[in-house]
Amino acid sequence: MFEMTTLVIPTEQRRSDEESLITENKMTNNPDKNIKTLGIPTEEEIKQAQIDFAPRCTSAGRVNDKETQKMVQYILNFARKHSLFVLAYGTGCGAIEIPATMTSRYDAERFGIRGAATPRQADVLMITGYLSTKTLKRVIRVYEQMQDPKYVIAFGSCTINGGMYFDSYNTIKALDRYLPVDVYIAGCMPRPESVINGFIKLQELIQNGNAGGGKCYRDNLDWYRANQQKVIKNWDFPDKYNW
Amino acid sequence: MQKHILNRLKKVFKVEGDIKAPLRIKIVADKDLVSSILLYLKNQMGFIHLNHMSCVDWIEDNKFELVYIVWHPEQKQTVLVHTFIDRDNPVMENIDTIWDQANTYEREMREMYGIEFPGLVGAKEFILEDWQEMPPMRRDFDTKKYAKETYATRPGRENARDVRKEIMKRSGEELPEFAKKYSRD
Ligand code: SF4
Repeated sequence: MFEMTTLVIPTEQRRSDEESLITENKMTNNPDKNIKTLGIPTEEEIKQAQIDFAPRCTSAGRVNDKETQKMVQYILNFARKHSLFVLAYGTGCGAIEIPATMTSRYDAERFGIRGAATPRQADVLMITGYLSTKTLKRVIRVYEQMQDPKYVIAFGSCTINGGMYFDSYNTIKALDRYLPVDVYIAGCMPRPESVINGFIKLQELIQNGNAGGGKCYRDNLDWYRANQQKVIKNWDFPDKYNW
Repeated sequence: MQKHILNRLKKVFKVEGDIKAPLRIKIVADKDLVSSILLYLKNQMGFIHLNHMSCVDWIEDNKFELVYIVWHPEQKQTVLVHTFIDRDNPVMENIDTIWDQANTYEREMREMYGIEFPGLVGAKEFILEDWQEMPPMRRDFDTKKYAKETYATRPGRENARDVRKEIMKRSGEELPEFAKKYSRD
């Protein structure tokens, strides 16, 4: 599998080949360009040079080919799967299960799950219970600040279908309308075993390359925004998706 | 002891009241009298602690009932001061000059019931954010309808239907014996 030697790029060689090809073409197509001016290049020449000498991605022999990407992706996923940094953030009743999951009895750190202090360092956002609209606003801001790849795990029946707050005037009912959720953990409240089970499910998804709602969120941003704006009345987010 | 407290209040303020329980005295006072009663209770009779303030919505009588609960730490006595205010024009005297902590209760009542307390310090928004409907704890606010219209439900789970059989079929699992007696059908 690790036949890395085939991937070494004969850079110098290929560059010069390409350049010569390009200059040949130009000579035939555009006779004006043949006249060599010595000294300071004109603006046009600079522009042309920028186009000509820009690094090119061709498939053969480059790092960008499909096989290599697959392998790189495999290694990346493997690493991601075993270092899930969870944002230390809790809503609803469920945050009380997190200390139990993280500490010595259940010891989630043996799976590479551990806390992260800020959203920029975190991979996983755990929604541990019901979300009032006030909290939802903060959660969306937090989610948007996280770096790709990012995953969302939602806890408890409150995030799935409203749970026992189904008729509350202030809590949302289906979380995946507002944020892309990777794994739902059922229960009210799920015990640490099921929390760890959920994390293992997420690891499987990551390994297969199926996890990570970040792209989904970016692609369907309009749909998500429309849903979010329906419940968040005073919308004061930045207009553009800005990270 | 309780009778003594009740009689004293009755004599001074001409209010009605009775003894509810061994540690609880209830008096019903006029809206304008409440702040003087509370001040009297605090300064003259030793009820120095404001336990709680709450509001009840009597929509049938078109009234809000406010309850002030004060506590005497040495005699271990509680006095509940009840008063009624008009529901259409709910204005009540601000008592946060007597007890500072009343401010928090009053701000909550302002938000949840729409009761105005003239001179109340503090931001208009207390717990709710961006609330644009009528105050949500009023009984004519239809919570269920609002929740249904505003928040999307998961298709198929709009009501409390028992879906365990369908899940059993889908996943090919058996319902455990102990779970059978919790059926909703
Ligand atoms: S699912 Fe249950 S435990 Fe979790 S937030 Fe809702 S009510 Fe609380």
